[in-house]
Amino acid sequence: MEGSETKKRIKADRRRASILAMVLSLQALASVFFIADVGQDLQRGGLDLHSGFEGVVALVLIVGTAFGSLQMRQILSRIHQAETAMSVASGAFFDLIEVRFAEWGLTPSEAEVALFTLKGLDIADIAAARGAAQGTVRAQLAKVYAKARVSSRGQLTSTFIEDLLMSPNERSSTGPAEP
Amino acid sequence: MSEKPDEQNERVWDPLVRLTHWTIALAVVLNGFIIDEDALAHIWIGYAALSLLALRLLWGLIGTENAKFTSFPISFSGAARHVSGLMRGQHPKYKSHNPLGALMVYALWGTLLVVSATGVMLENELFPENDAEYSGQFEEEEEEEEDHDEGGEDLIEEIHEGAANLLLLLAALHVGGVILESRLSGRNLVRAMISGPRS
Repeated sequence: MEGSETKKRIKADRRRASILAMVLSLQALASVFFIADVGQDLQRGGLDLHSGFEGVVALVLIVGTAFGSLQMRQILSRIHQAETAMSVASGAFFDLIEVRFAEWGLTPSEAEVALFTLKGLDIADIAAARGAAQGTVRAQLAKVYAKARVSSRGQLTSTFIEDLLMSPNERSSTGPAEP
Repeated sequence: MSEKPDEQNERVWDPLVRLTHWTIALAVVLNGFIIDEDALAHIWIGYAALSLLALRLLWGLIGTENAKFTSFPISFSGAARHVSGLMRGQHPKYKSHNPLGALMVYALWGTLLVVSATGVMLENELFPENDAEYSGQFEEEEEEEEDHDEGGEDLIEEIHEGAANLLLLLAALHVGGVILESRLSGRNLVRAMISGPRS
């Protein structure tokens, strides 16, 4: 699944947002200090090159803070979008899995083994995760394959991918995962 | 609107909200209880709090959905409904602040604005005693406290202290409210403000 890739990107965006929040705070600090300084200068010496320049700096800082905030909002809404898209996609995938498993008449333990297999675990991993013997898992997996009328893990995965790819209209209405 | 109940465990507070919240809280605690009011640090911390508040208010206009003012409007009837709902054991989920919390937010912000504005006025010496002497802002600060015999500054100082005490009182109520609301609703509101997700 591309989920892990998306997750990675969301994580990077989150980090970016945190850093940006700190930068924005510092910018806000600097803005207020400059404004106060300009105010004091104007009060004391009137408008001259020094206070004028500081005024410009203060203005630039404020504008910068505003733009930074807008960028921050963009990043955060991108995170939100990606998360929504991902949860919709994975929700659809799990719905589909449930339907298929029920159709094939998998027992609860077979369903679990099948799910682990779809996630890419091999027989040894599954056996360890379920605390079962490898032979048991192998037998269960063979039953899963038989019920699904496939002969390999690749084919098992393909049956789901095929279904998910068949309804592009429905998927596009829920919003794309890629910006 | 904010009254839409939300079923998902999503992150409610973005990094900017969380950062400004805790830094302002820290500034209030420092200036209210720990730092001596005559100390230079008191002024710097006050400026920092003001700028963080300014940033948060800007964020209230252009920020994320939950952070925007429009997500938590001032509504006394909403707050009353919220309280009576809590009494009856209803805990609707709000995407942003609950109506009662929203009132507190605005009260805190308003008071903080008064405190910082009067603080700045005191520091900037709008009613200066020894005018036009740019020499050492630090010394002036100390002198300022020693002989403040002008009525204008006295009044501002009164307002500053009164508002500061009110701010601390509101902050205490705010903490109490958060604890109570978390207990009643079974949702950890503090964690939501620390790490983002509210479950």
